[in-house]
Amino acid sequence: MKIEVDAASVRIEDATILEHVSLVLHPGEIVGLIGPNGAGKSTLLKAIAGLLPLSNGAVRYDGAPASQTRLARRLSYLAQDGEVHWPLRVDEVVRLGRLPHRTPFAGESAGDRAAIERAMALAEVARFRARTVRSLSGGERMRVLLARALAVEAEVLLADEPVAAVDLLHQLRIMDLLRQVGQAGKCVVVVLHDLALATRFCTRLVLLAEGRKMLDGAPADLTDAIIRRAYGVSTLRGEHLGQTFVLPWAPLE
Amino acid sequence: MSAPGSQGAQRTDSHYAALVGALGFVVVAAFLVSLFVGYAGLDAPQAVSDALHGADTLPAIVLVELRLPRALLGCFVGFSLGLAGAAMQGFLRNPLAEPGIVGVSGAAALGAVTAFYSGLSQIIPLALPIGGMAGAAASALLLYALAGRGAGTTTLVLAGVAINSFAAALTSLALNLSPNGFAALEVIYWLMGSLVDRSLPQVWLALPFMAVGWLLLLASAPALDALSLGEATAQSLGFDMRRLRLQLVGGAACAVGAAVAVSGAIGFVGLVAPHVLRPFVGHRPGRLLLASGLGGAALLLVADIAARLLPIRPELKLGVITALIGAPFLFHLVYRLRREG
Amino acid sequence: MRFIRGSRFDARGAVRAALAAACATFAVAAAAQPQRPQRIVSINMCADELLLRLADRDRIASVAWLSRDEDNSNVAALAKGVPVNHGLAEEIMALRPDLVLAGAFSSQTSVQILRRLGVNVVEVQVPRNMDEARGEIRALAAAIGESERGEKMVGEIDAGFRALGLSAQSPRLRAVVMQPNGFTVEKGSLVEDIMNRAGLENLASRIDAGSYLSIPLEAVVLQQADVMILNGEVYGAPSLATEALSHPVLAALGRRLKVVAVPPKLWTCVGPGLVEAARLLVAQTRGARAARR
Repeated sequence: MKIEVDAASVRIEDATILEHVSLVLHPGEIVGLIGPNGAGKSTLLKAIAGLLPLSNGAVRYDGAPASQTRLARRLSYLAQDGEVHWPLRVDEVVRLGRLPHRTPFAGESAGDRAAIERAMALAEVARFRARTVRSLSGGERMRVLLARALAVEAEVLLADEPVAAVDLLHQLRIMDLLRQVGQAGKCVVVVLHDLALATRFCTRLVLLAEGRKMLDGAPADLTDAIIRRAYGVSTLRGEHLGQTFVLPWAPLE
Repeated sequence: MSAPGSQGAQRTDSHYAALVGALGFVVVAAFLVSLFVGYAGLDAPQAVSDALHGADTLPAIVLVELRLPRALLGCFVGFSLGLAGAAMQGFLRNPLAEPGIVGVSGAAALGAVTAFYSGLSQIIPLALPIGGMAGAAASALLLYALAGRGAGTTTLVLAGVAINSFAAALTSLALNLSPNGFAALEVIYWLMGSLVDRSLPQVWLALPFMAVGWLLLLASAPALDALSLGEATAQSLGFDMRRLRLQLVGGAACAVGAAVAVSGAIGFVGLVAPHVLRPFVGHRPGRLLLASGLGGAALLLVADIAARLLPIRPELKLGVITALIGAPFLFHLVYRLRREG
Repeated sequence: MRFIRGSRFDARGAVRAALAAACATFAVAAAAQPQRPQRIVSINMCADELLLRLADRDRIASVAWLSRDEDNSNVAALAKGVPVNHGLAEEIMALRPDLVLAGAFSSQTSVQILRRLGVNVVEVQVPRNMDEARGEIRALAAAIGESERGEKMVGEIDAGFRALGLSAQSPRLRAVVMQPNGFTVEKGSLVEDIMNRAGLENLASRIDAGSYLSIPLEAVVLQQADVMILNGEVYGAPSLATEALSHPVLAALGRRLKVVAVPPKLWTCVGPGLVEAARLLVAQTRGARAARR
């Protein structure tokens, strides 16, 4: 599915959260959505997911606007806060990802069950399927929620800061997982703070600052000058096995 | 697909079916006991055979005109309260959301009292359940406006206190304006809830509204499941939050409003039933609905049987018994929520 | 009872409730005055009825305001033109009374203030049967210096009961009283005495030693009550208690249960109304009695 964000603006009360952002997303891309706090990353992600009314502009899916129920099967959204309100079992949480595919009064189909198993295997959570999410570590819990998002088996995966609150090992495992999803031909959009992870795992970066798009390009296009302007920090840069990585170093005076 | 997965899912499914079956059995059993428990000895086989043959004997009259409506209402009102409690808890994601605590029952009582003492329900019998539902709907909307999405316990309880006291004040006002000097006295007792001397016409009056409420609430099951991951996620799974809100407010208003209009405000059923049954459905809010409805029906039937068997006369009000049973659960919940912060 | 001053309806309810529960009539607790009082104030509805019936108009300074209400009082016509009070010490003192009649349960604070100010207050009690009711009439008549008229009233009431014309052999019917406050008439009350004199047996005192305050319809049916007495109006203000009358079980019982409405004011206070209540019960249950014979 090709998603076109066309001059999207979001105003909440008097504050402008997002201003005139245009963007086209293609299958197979892993798009890192980066930018300082309050830049509008989460808002843009929700707008892409169709969860937010736009003040101006439009989002088109394969050239046409789409209703929420239509989108639910084609586009999967992983929320930022990772809330799970009841002590549900891991497999019950993952099952929720199949809700868009259910028809009323029908039980879970064999296809549903297969998708749940695939998602749990991919996110490596099958091992603790019978435990409740409350008994898991933060990293494991995020993987369970990611499995839930994967169980939708949508063409598009939108993840809002999936690695913000997890340890280093889980950061790498989750990013690697997202890369696999992208390489399988799906479109992945992930909100990130860590520029090292962003430059390493994403095929494309979109930098937002104060609600506007500052950069839309390959990781290599994220120059020190742009980072300085957007974040107000200096950076170090290195290379390993042919891959560039960026390290924030010190606040600018 | 791989064996453990399908087995796991099927195991919870068969668990659930067994639970629903067991609860259904308890409800049917309690219903039958309720039919044959009363103040004066009733020759049960004689009563049943007379009733079936249309004989107009005293046992048959008592069975059909008094015991049957009482047992039916115990069943339906309990189901409504248990179901509405589970649905509200799922929607507000808070185990303290209960029609009585958050003021929906109190407001429904206000609506019913107003319809009754204004004399409106004597002209239009439907005014009674409609009054109850209007009160319940208004309070549910107010509750949502006050406490809103994923409400914290403090906000929720404060909203309940506010709605309850406002409804109580308006109820007093309505009674003051009633031409019946005994209205206040009567209503104090009525508000405690009871199923004494209810009639079949009252059952038929309330049942259609309750049934509509049940359908609306039960149909929200998948959305409530999705909502356990938060509103944004639920929305991304294809559930329209505005529609869900309307569906739940409407469903709770129909079920609780019509129930309160015929039985008075019976508290705690919507708290106890979901609380007890939640672990048995793996904490899934959607599955809790039917189970909690059946649990509420069983609980209310048993409480009503106890009211008649306890050697206290005049019999204890049903709301008093459910409160005696329910209060420890409430204390436990408050204690646990405090620990969780 | 201070809230009597609040709203009209509230006060009426409170007074009615107090009356129905307690002040069926009264016993005079104080000794008769040596001199005939000339400025008598009554702050109790039941005292009003006897005062208005026994004393001359010019000796009555004021009666309770409820006595002007035809729905509640048997003497509304007599009370017309008599100044009314609301039981407040301040308004009563302004009337400079030489005798105040008060109910045992009414306006205790006012009564205490009046006593402290040196006013002669006579409190009336609740009679539990006709003997006590006769005593109340005589005592109050003595207190206001109208013993002769009091004796005459007692004689008329007794004659009225004798004239009911029930023979000793006539069958006693089982009756249950539904009051608008949801309670039934307990054992050992004046209303029960009147029922007995009208040939009715109070079902409440038969079942379970009178421990029923409200009788469930189920017990009414299974104990085979013949008469259901509504202590109120069938088509009065909406009341949950009168709702019981529309219960289909009564229709199902059909001719097996006779429903009789007695206006509560008839037997709330001591007076000729008691006879009228008994007459009404006898007349209305004549058919049921014939069926039992």
